[in-house]
Amino acid sequence: NRIDANLVSRHKDLQREVCDLTEAEEQLDELISKCTLQLRLLTEDPQNKKLGYVRCQDLRKSFDSPDQLVMVIRAPPETQMQVTEPSEGYQVSLKSTQGPIDVFLCPEDSSGVC
Amino acid sequence: IGLPTNSAQECQNLEVERQRRLERIKQKQSQLQELILQQIAFKNLVQRNRQTEQQANRPPPSNSIIHLPFIIVNTSKKTVIDCSISNDKFEYLFNFDSMFEIHDDIEVLKRMGMACGLEVGKCSAEDLKVARSLVPKALEPYVIEMAKGPISNVYITGGSSAN
Repeated sequence: NRIDANLVSRHKDLQREVCDLTEAEEQLDELISKCTLQLRLLTEDPQNKKLGYVRCQDLRKSFDSPDQLVMVIRAPPETQMQVTEPSEGYQVSLKSTQGPIDVFLCPEDSSGVC
Repeated sequence: IGLPTNSAQECQNLEVERQRRLERIKQKQSQLQELILQQIAFKNLVQRNRQTEQQANRPPPSNSIIHLPFIIVNTSKKTVIDCSISNDKFEYLFNFDSMFEIHDDIEVLKRMGMACGLEVGKCSAEDLKVARSLVPKALEPYVIEMAKGPISNVYITGGSSAN
């Protein structure tokens, strides 16, 4: 009867859709892993590593408010950063296992020196 | 067709499955977009620096540059910051008496325009050309999609047609 027929076609449609979505997701997974690898190779390339920097004036311009203090943190991989809930105060802790952490302020003057 | 008696239930299950997959695809799409943005931004940065160094005929003084990766913490100048550091500089503790923001280096690169405006879907024809030239062919459809504006719906790029 009609209800059954409707149900059958709905069932079929859904099955096809889920099937399409499964395929789309697999494609995405593949692209994501390729992209992750590409990015790693890109950033680990010694030549790129040397050229992968911003200038102090770039930083100043990016946080272009005269009343802002800009702090730069350079930490070894796997350093842990913990931030408290705002309701419990404003606290940041950094914990490294692989080497010292570097923290400095971005200068405000135009000397361009950090 | 040998439809099971509980086919209504099965339709419902499929519906749930469909929703779940749509959600996951959405998440993965934004993850992929972020990766693409990072790739473009990094390549642009390297290119810019290479050009500047070639023009100046020397690298910039090391005390005027900051290598990736880094993190930025910014706050008002009025904020009082209390900082304790362990002797070996492996541990830091900051106390701020007011709000602060944390940004990663990619955010800085975006603000510098290194992502060609793709991060907000504001991309001139020229920007788009540059962006497309910086990614492998397989990712171009995503770049074009991102250039059109923030994505709200799940979209499926070529190749995954029905059946």
